[in-house]
Amino acid sequence: MGVVRFIKGLLLNFRSLPLVIQLSLIVIMAAIVFTLIAVLVMLFYRYRRYRREKKLAKLIPVIDDLIFSYISYDSTDNPSTRYASKEEIITRLRRSIRGHRQLAVNRLTEYKKDLRGNMSQELNELFLELRLDRFCLRKFRSLRRFRKVQGLTEFAAMGIPVADAHILPLTHHRSREVRIMARHAYIKLSKNDPFKFFDVSTDRLLVWDQIELFRIITTNENITIPNFGSWLTYSTNPSIIRFCLRLVVHYNQTEAIPAVVRLLDTRDHELRAEAINCLGKIKAEQTEDKLVSIYNDQPPRCQAEILKAVGRIQSGRYVDFLTNEFLYASDFRLRKNAAKSLVNNSRMEPGLIEQLMATTTPENQLILKHCMDPLIKYV
Amino acid sequence: MRFFIDAVAWFYEYFVFFYGLVLFLSYLLLVFLSMIAIRKYLKRNAYTDNDTIIYSPVAPGVSVIAPAYNEELTIISNVHSLLTLNYVRYEVIIINDGSTDKTLELLIDEFKLVKVDFAYDEKIATQPVKQFFKSTEPAFSKLLVIDKENGKSKADGSNAGINAASFPYFVCTDVDCILHKDTLVELMRPVIQEPKRLTIAVGAPLRMANSCDFEEGELIRMRPPRSILPRFQEVEYIRAYMLSKMGWSLINAVPNVSGGLGLFNTEIAVQAGGYNFQSFAEDQDMISRMIRYCCEQRIKYAIRYIPKTLCWTEGPPTLRVYLRQRTRWGQGLLQLIVTHIRVFFNPRYRRLGMIVYPYNFFFEFLAPIIELTGIIYMTILALLGLINWPFALLIMAFAYSYSVLMSTIAILWDQLTFRNYRTWREALGLCLMPFFEMFFYHPLVLFCAIRGYIFYMIGKRHVWGDMQRRGFGRSTAQPHYEPAPAKIPQDA
Repeated sequence: MGVVRFIKGLLLNFRSLPLVIQLSLIVIMAAIVFTLIAVLVMLFYRYRRYRREKKLAKLIPVIDDLIFSYISYDSTDNPSTRYASKEEIITRLRRSIRGHRQLAVNRLTEYKKDLRGNMSQELNELFLELRLDRFCLRKFRSLRRFRKVQGLTEFAAMGIPVADAHILPLTHHRSREVRIMARHAYIKLSKNDPFKFFDVSTDRLLVWDQIELFRIITTNENITIPNFGSWLTYSTNPSIIRFCLRLVVHYNQTEAIPAVVRLLDTRDHELRAEAINCLGKIKAEQTEDKLVSIYNDQPPRCQAEILKAVGRIQSGRYVDFLTNEFLYASDFRLRKNAAKSLVNNSRMEPGLIEQLMATTTPENQLILKHCMDPLIKYV
Repeated sequence: MRFFIDAVAWFYEYFVFFYGLVLFLSYLLLVFLSMIAIRKYLKRNAYTDNDTIIYSPVAPGVSVIAPAYNEELTIISNVHSLLTLNYVRYEVIIINDGSTDKTLELLIDEFKLVKVDFAYDEKIATQPVKQFFKSTEPAFSKLLVIDKENGKSKADGSNAGINAASFPYFVCTDVDCILHKDTLVELMRPVIQEPKRLTIAVGAPLRMANSCDFEEGELIRMRPPRSILPRFQEVEYIRAYMLSKMGWSLINAVPNVSGGLGLFNTEIAVQAGGYNFQSFAEDQDMISRMIRYCCEQRIKYAIRYIPKTLCWTEGPPTLRVYLRQRTRWGQGLLQLIVTHIRVFFNPRYRRLGMIVYPYNFFFEFLAPIIELTGIIYMTILALLGLINWPFALLIMAFAYSYSVLMSTIAILWDQLTFRNYRTWREALGLCLMPFFEMFFYHPLVLFCAIRGYIFYMIGKRHVWGDMQRRGFGRSTAQPHYEPAPAKIPQDA
């Protein structure tokens, strides 16, 4: 009772209280109200999620069953076929997904990841029959950028072609996420010129972007692979050049070697190191002289790449150079790389490793043993 | 004399008033910042597929570094767990830091290890490394075991691991922590999604493993701890990670990435000198040095936090162990401030100098001192009969209700984001903890902080003691490293 009277007194004399006390009272009230709201919101969201999960637990098996029946439908009079026609399955599916079209899109994209060939085509057919393409296309017009991203992701995941007119405007969207996903979708879905962005993009390709693009390009059978060397020459975007170097390596495009060699003159030493790395990986033997000739003028990162490249090319012409670096380089990492390359070239120069083991310092012997040990993967 | 006392009292009261006001406003700001950061994280990750990163040959490689000291009861299952993380390009480096039990022998037997001649480049000085082991089984080819002399700290073991790391990023963890299978990919996301800056470190929340269910090194069911002390810690962790770290992450002013789990850029960590084995807060110290290095070299850096719990660690099971751990953190905070005194309000160090260290100093280091002086001041006033009790109680109620609100919001963010606990009773039960925190848990935090400051000032050395592990359902009483989870902001 005393407390109630005290609070009542405070509220009645609120205006006459000191400012600090007035503020405290307001904060206490607000804190009590917001704490209660926070707890209620938490419980409400948990309940809502619980209800949704319960509903989905019932709905998902039904949808999955219908999708599976559709893609494995046997038109012959097979007694195991439960539905009279594909139309019947579609009708049932339409009924089941009423109000849950997003769920249907999610299930189809999930299946699409794991299926290839005819079944994958059937999934696309089903996607179109259920008019989910219209549903996803509407997301492109959403004001919320993540809805746009969602729509683009879904089309790209399903591999269903979309008119360039829908995607191209999004490639210039002010949001980076939308631009990135539009680019991915365009490369995957466009029939015209999927690599158009490499010519015009000024955005830096994020590592994430490169990972996704690499997957799309290397797994999409419908893309005609161009000579990536052309972008090495003409692109002004270093991140695109870096990405193209990786693609040159992946597709072993030896025709791109002259363009890669031109990059050895770039002022960006990180890019130069990647160009050297590329030359080594595609075993560009004709560039070995050039690489060795520029060695002394390079920073350690590029020097290490040159040593690796000579090791990968395995011509055996620069064993002396490698030996010299192995014995006299002051940088531990350079000596390690030189040793690894010497081991790679040891077939060309029998007895060299044994001779080095016998004459060099204990530390260098350890480096050689490290490089020769098949259990040690990385230098 | 009377005038002087009145002036001091007047100054002190106004100082505390404005100090409290700024502190409370900063918490309010963190609430909004963390909300934006969490929403951003959820939206960004809604359309990116983990599998694409996990299996990509283009994704950067990661070295997982886990020092072990007398971990014979848990080492095998935990290394198995580390070897089955979802990522293609990674290696696991276990450092046996001079264990006196059978940690090394068990590793050799289980993983068919053989001694290899490993060319070890000691970029960061450590205690001597004795031998290296690799597995003859292709299934364990990712594993490298380093056997070294005991360095009396986790920092020394971690540094040996950094020296041997082959990849541009490394994840540092404790061998007794349980990691989520997607830890590497989740930690790499902020690195590969960063548009303009070099991400030098990424952290993720740690949680109490005490009452959770694990099976073969994997979390099956997450529960709030049943014991009272770890339960308070759970709330403290949620508050620290979901509000504080996420909020700071949005403005790139993260003060620390936890020693229990953190991803770091190898090159920058080496250039910054790695972990300082003499530091009481080696994780925060390394982050500070990494930032300083970036600022001095004009490297645009980013340190990020993600809200997803990826690591579970056992909290101190007894009050004695808890007090020792927290005292060390108090020592660490003061040591950190002294070590990096040049950073304060130094615009050269950008956010570190203008936000992180001033905040650390005023609101983490000074907070316990002001609180203690406040208690003394109140006691004197009470003895002199100068307190207006109704108003004093009202102001205490203000601080109390505000702190309860902050903790509840942190739990709300956590629940809205991941719904970590299965039942609503567990979540609601946790919401009750902030109501008792100020009476039971906060005094402990205050005591340890002050004790830590005193220990540091009198030069008392920290002794690595016994952290009696219960081992997720097992029982052991071996000496271990004390866990070094995030340096939890004392009032966040």
